[in-house]
Amino acid sequence: MPTSMTENTLLTQAKDAARLAQKLGADDARVGVSRSRGVEVEWRDGRLERVQERTRRGLSVELFVDGRYAAMSTNDLRPSAVEAFLTEAVAMTRVLEPDEHRRLPDPARYAGRAAVDLDLADASQAAVTSEQRRASAEQLEALLRARSANAPIVSVTSAVEDDSGESARVHTNGFEGVRQGTHFSRSVQVTLIDQDGRRPMGWAYTVRRHQAELEAAETIVDRARDMALRQLGAGKLATGKYTLVVDRQSVPRLLGAFLGPLSGAALQQKRSLWDGKLGERIASPLLTIVDEPHKIRGLGSALWDGDGFATHRRAIIEAGVLKTYLIDDYYARKMGVEPTGGSTHNFEWALGTRDADGLVADVGEGVYIDRFLGGNSNGTTGEISMGCAGRVIRGGRLCEPVAEVNLAGHFGEIWQALVAVGNDPDPNSSAAAPTCVFEGIQLSGV
Amino acid sequence: MSMLAEGLAYFGRFGVDETLLQAALERALARGGDYAELYFEHRVAHEVGLEDGAVNRAFLHVSLGVGVRVLKGDQTGYAYTEELTRDRVCEAAATAAVVADGPASPAPRAFEVRGRPDRYPVKLDFEGVDIARKMPILSEVNALAFARDASVSKVTVGYADSDGAMLVVDSTGHVAFDRQPMARLTVGCVAERAGRRESNHHNLAGREGFEFFTPERIRKVACDAVDRTVFCFDATTAPAGEMPVVLAAGSAGILLHEAIGHGMEADFNRKGVSVYSDKLGKRIAGDEITIVDDGTQPHARGAINVDDEGVEGQRTVLVENGVLRSYMHDRISAKHYGVEPTGNGRRQSFRDPPLPRMRSTYMMPGSVPPEDIVKSVKRGVFAETFTNGQVMIGAGDFTFYIKTGYLIEDGRLTRPIKDTNIIGNGPQCLERTDLVGTDFKIDEGGWTCGKDGQSVPVSIGMPTVRVSAITVGGVN
Repeated sequence: MPTSMTENTLLTQAKDAARLAQKLGADDARVGVSRSRGVEVEWRDGRLERVQERTRRGLSVELFVDGRYAAMSTNDLRPSAVEAFLTEAVAMTRVLEPDEHRRLPDPARYAGRAAVDLDLADASQAAVTSEQRRASAEQLEALLRARSANAPIVSVTSAVEDDSGESARVHTNGFEGVRQGTHFSRSVQVTLIDQDGRRPMGWAYTVRRHQAELEAAETIVDRARDMALRQLGAGKLATGKYTLVVDRQSVPRLLGAFLGPLSGAALQQKRSLWDGKLGERIASPLLTIVDEPHKIRGLGSALWDGDGFATHRRAIIEAGVLKTYLIDDYYARKMGVEPTGGSTHNFEWALGTRDADGLVADVGEGVYIDRFLGGNSNGTTGEISMGCAGRVIRGGRLCEPVAEVNLAGHFGEIWQALVAVGNDPDPNSSAAAPTCVFEGIQLSGV
Repeated sequence: MSMLAEGLAYFGRFGVDETLLQAALERALARGGDYAELYFEHRVAHEVGLEDGAVNRAFLHVSLGVGVRVLKGDQTGYAYTEELTRDRVCEAAATAAVVADGPASPAPRAFEVRGRPDRYPVKLDFEGVDIARKMPILSEVNALAFARDASVSKVTVGYADSDGAMLVVDSTGHVAFDRQPMARLTVGCVAERAGRRESNHHNLAGREGFEFFTPERIRKVACDAVDRTVFCFDATTAPAGEMPVVLAAGSAGILLHEAIGHGMEADFNRKGVSVYSDKLGKRIAGDEITIVDDGTQPHARGAINVDDEGVEGQRTVLVENGVLRSYMHDRISAKHYGVEPTGNGRRQSFRDPPLPRMRSTYMMPGSVPPEDIVKSVKRGVFAETFTNGQVMIGAGDFTFYIKTGYLIEDGRLTRPIKDTNIIGNGPQCLERTDLVGTDFKIDEGGWTCGKDGQSVPVSIGMPTVRVSAITVGGVN
C-alpha cells in the first residue's frame, strides 16, 4: 500500500506519544492516532435540509505500568495537554490492582501480514464538491417521486455522504501499522400515509469504499419505495408457528445474537451458551460463515486486528459446526488458551441457488420478514424475542402486509431450523447476508 | 459571576475570548443566515472497572471542541472543530454559513446573560477525587454481590463519572453556560445452579458529584443485580399472543418513551412523518392520563438547567387528561409552529446539531390502588424490569423488552417470566391504557436514548398501569 505524507505524520505522532508515555513511566504502550473528514448533505421535500461537515482527530493510548493497565482517549492534541493527560493517566494506572494477564501481545503474532493492497481508499473522494453532493441528493428525491407515481407520499428525505480517514497504530514491542480508507453512501427514506392515518416509512441505502461501485440511484429508490408500499394497509397476524423468509438486510440481527457469545469475554465471564461447544454442530448444515479480512475494497477489510495480529481467512461456522471462538489476546491469557483473534471482518456464506422471489415461491405458505424492530437476546441462555413486520406468503406469493408481530424462541434452535439460503448476499454490508429461510418459528400476533 | 464571565473563565484556558465569539458569529452570518450559534464543550470522563475480583482497569476520556450551527429558515448548516483557535473556529463558521446564500446578517454587538436554575448542585467535584477513593466502591459492590447469594459465580462492576462544561453563544446575543455532571454505577452478575447459568445487569445513574455513591445505592445496585439474576432460574419465556399487560411502577416508563415520546418530538411532526402529526389538541388517551416531559427534577439523569441551545430546561405537559397539548421543541420546530421552544433541544456532543429530545418522561399517578390493577386481570403478564425499546415513528409500532416479570392468573402473580419482547402500536396502546395506579416512581437507571446516531441521557417514570390488550412476544 502506498504511504502518504499524512500517514507518515500520523505514524510519527503515534511513536512520539508512545515514547512520551514510556518517558513518563509506562513500561509499554499501545497508541492509536486517527484523523477523518466527512461531509453529509441531507435533502428533504424539494430543498436542502442540512449540510454537515465532520473533521475529527483523536489520540488513544493503552498503558502498561508495573503490571497494571489503563486506557485513555483525547482529542485535545495540544502538546502540553497531551503531556498532562498522559501524566495523569500513568499516575492513575499505578494505583490500580495488578493484572498479570495485561501484557502486549507476543510480537510473533504481528508477523505474516498479508502482502495485499486492500484498495480501501478512493482518491476521487478529495475532489467531490458540495454541489455534486447536493445534486445527487436532489436527484434521489426526484427519482423516488418519479418512480412512485401513485404512492401517497408525505415526505421524502435523501442523504449523500462521503468521508476519508487515516490512522496509525504503534505498540512499543514492535507493531506499526498505518491505514487509509474512504466511504461513500447514498440513502433515501420515504414516508407514506395510510388510510387509517399511520405513516409507514421505507428506506434503503448503498455504501461502498469506492464511489464508482455505489448501486444505481434507481435501485435504492425502488427498494425504499417497495418497503414503504409493502406496509400500506398492514393488519395483524394470528399467533402461531410459521416458515419465515427473512430479508437479507434483516438477517444480521439474527446472526449477531448467534455469534455474539463466541467472544472471549463472553466465554471467560460465563455469559456464553456456546461454552464447551467448539467442534459441535450448533446450526443447520446449510450454515457456513467464513471470515475474509482481505476482501479487496471490503467494508470490513483489515490486514491486522484489534490486537495487531495479522489477519487470516478462516471459517467460523462450517456446515453448522462451530470451527472457532473469537478470543482476543487478553481473554486468551485469562482462559489459558491460544488467542484466536477477537475481530471479524467480511463474511462469506455458502450460498444457495435461489433469490428472494424464488425462495418465497418455494416456501409456498409462510411469512416474509421485511424488518425487525427492537427486541433483545440473552447470550447466556439463548432466548431471543424481537418485533418484526412483513408480508404473509400464500401460494408462493407475497400477499397482505402484517405489522405488530413478534418473533421469539432460542437463537440456537432458530439457526438449526435454517432450511434454505439465498444466492443474493447483501453488497451493502460486511455481513453480506443472503435471504434466509427458517422453519417452524414462533410468531406472536393476535 | 455572570454566565458569560463564568463560561469565559472556564473556556478561556483553551483560548476562547469575547473577540473570538464575535469574529466567529460574524463569519457564521456572512452569507445571510437567520441565526447562528456556537456550542463549546469540554468533557472529562473517568471509568473504573472490576472483573474477577480485582479493580484492574481504568479509562480516561477527554473531549473538547466547538460546533457552529447556522440556520436559514428550517435549513441547517453545521460544522465543528476540535481546535479552539480563532482561525479554526472561523473556518468552521464559514463552512456552516454555506447553508445560506445572500448578503451578511448582522452579528450581535453585546452579549446578554440570563440567570439559570441550579438543579444539580455538586458537593464533591469529580476533579478533586482521586482514583484511590473510587476503587473501594467497586470492591464493596463485588463483596455485597457474592455475599447475597451462594449461586453467584461472576461479578463485573463499572464505575463512571463525567464532568461536562458547555457554553452556548448565539446571534441574538444570548449566552448560556452550564456544568453537567453524571455519575453511574453498573453491575453485571452471573449465577450458576445445577449446571444452569443465568445472567443479568443493573445500574443506577444521576446528575450528581461523587456524593452520588452512597452506601445505600452501593448496596441497592449490588443486591438488585443479584436478585434479578437468581430470579431467572425459576423463570421462563412468557406465553405468545395478545393479552392484558400490567406495567410495574418505575422503569415501565420505557413504554411512554417509545409509544408516545419519540412521536411527539416536534421535528418528526414538522416533517409530517409522525403518527401524531395531526393530533395536536385532540384526545389520544383516557381522561386519567397525563404525560409530562420534565427537565427540572433535581439530580435526575434527564435533568438539564439549560438545553444545548441555551434554552432553560422546563416541565412540558405533553398529554393533559388525555388530550395532546404540546410537542417537544427545539428552536427550529418552535419557529415553525410559532411557539416558544420548550427546552428540548439536545445533542450528544459538539459534533452534532441539536434535535428535539426527551428529558425525563413520565405519566402522572391516577386513582386506582396498584394491587387492584393486578387483581383485575384474569390472565396476562406483569412486566417488572426492562432493558430496551424501539419505535417506528410513522407507523407507530413500538417494542420494549421485558427482562423479568410474572404471569398473572386469576388476579394473582404466579409463574416468573423473563426475556420477552412486547410489541404494540403507540396511539392504540395509549387508548388501551385503562387503569392508572396511585403509586408513582421515577426510575434511577442509567437510561440512554438514541436518535439520528446521537445518544443523550434520559429518565423515565410511571405509575402502575394496565394495558388491556397488547402483543406479548413469548413462546407457546
